[in-house]
Amino acid sequence: MNDPVKPPATPDADAPWPGPFVRYDLVKELVVALGAVIAVVVALAVLFSSPDEPPVTIQSWSRAAPADFLAIAVTELNRTSDVATYGPPYNEGTGSVQKIGPISLQEAAGVKVPIETARDYVLEPLHEVPGAPRLRAALDAYEAAPARLQEKWAANYEKALPEARFVAGVPVLPPGRYGPVEPMMASLLAMGQSGALDGALLAGGHRFYATDYTKPLLFVSAGEYFEKLAEHQHLLGTQWGMMNETGSFPGQVWLWLFSFWYQVEPFKSSPNADALIFVLMGVLSLAFICVPFIPGLNQLPRRLGVYRLIWRDHYREVET
Amino acid sequence: MRASIPLGAIFDLNGPAEYVSWHFIQISVPNLVVIALMIVVFVAALLIPFPKREREP
Repeated sequence: MNDPVKPPATPDADAPWPGPFVRYDLVKELVVALGAVIAVVVALAVLFSSPDEPPVTIQSWSRAAPADFLAIAVTELNRTSDVATYGPPYNEGTGSVQKIGPISLQEAAGVKVPIETARDYVLEPLHEVPGAPRLRAALDAYEAAPARLQEKWAANYEKALPEARFVAGVPVLPPGRYGPVEPMMASLLAMGQSGALDGALLAGGHRFYATDYTKPLLFVSAGEYFEKLAEHQHLLGTQWGMMNETGSFPGQVWLWLFSFWYQVEPFKSSPNADALIFVLMGVLSLAFICVPFIPGLNQLPRRLGVYRLIWRDHYREVET
Repeated sequence: MRASIPLGAIFDLNGPAEYVSWHFIQISVPNLVVIALMIVVFVAALLIPFPKREREP
């Protein structure tokens, strides 16, 4: 029999195991581990529950900040909003296209979720309002007008909006050349405050499975109201928001390295930050997978000697 | 609505969290607690001895 302490220089793979045997019940270990994890999860759920932040909807936004809602809605109508100029996957714009050198994966993937902001956020929802002859006439006038006049009406409305007053919930702007945009925006605000706009944007072309929140989320996220809520909860990118959760719940701690890059230059001020950090994390992840093959790094476990701490009984036995 | 929940948590964590800031680093106290607990579990896994088992010859 070989000495278990000093194995032969070239071990024989076919030779029987010379050392001791230990009984080990894998099924028992699985059941015990599963039971322990379930007990911990149930105990934590009873003690702390889960985040219960009320959802931000177009209805809650348009009621809490009607001027902010209208400011975004009119930019959706004249196609100057962040979403309208975003680029892929929503449209052919270039406002938020990111590149890694000359390569843009975003453009390569193309427009996969087409959004035409004037049609999707304003015109189509307003066409769904039943029995509103004044609104119908305004829509007809707007759609019959040349594009330049449409843009001028919307631009005039946007410019005058900071001076708007709200009388019984209805926006009243100083006299100006707004054309049919003024009654259209007033109707859209009423639609938003009633909750009907949430339903119209959520359903889109799919009336049965209304689970695609892309359009309402993009609309709400453009407003200052939503940004302030996020800032209050420390959820902005500049606040390490990727790691945080609403309320006092722990968040996604494991995203610390992703969050870290957004806080330092050159990523912090780069318009291509997402694409650059995507590539950087890909390279770092690949390096992590390849640690066993990287000279020097693959010696770390041996040099750190943590294994000696784990198997300290064995090494104490062997070394005495 | 929070008030209408029939069974609430024993500890309500829906209030605003405390944050620790150091230079450009900003971290919530709940996240720090989780990190501390992970370190405790890691050190415990290293230091708690294996259960002694009966050995067969």
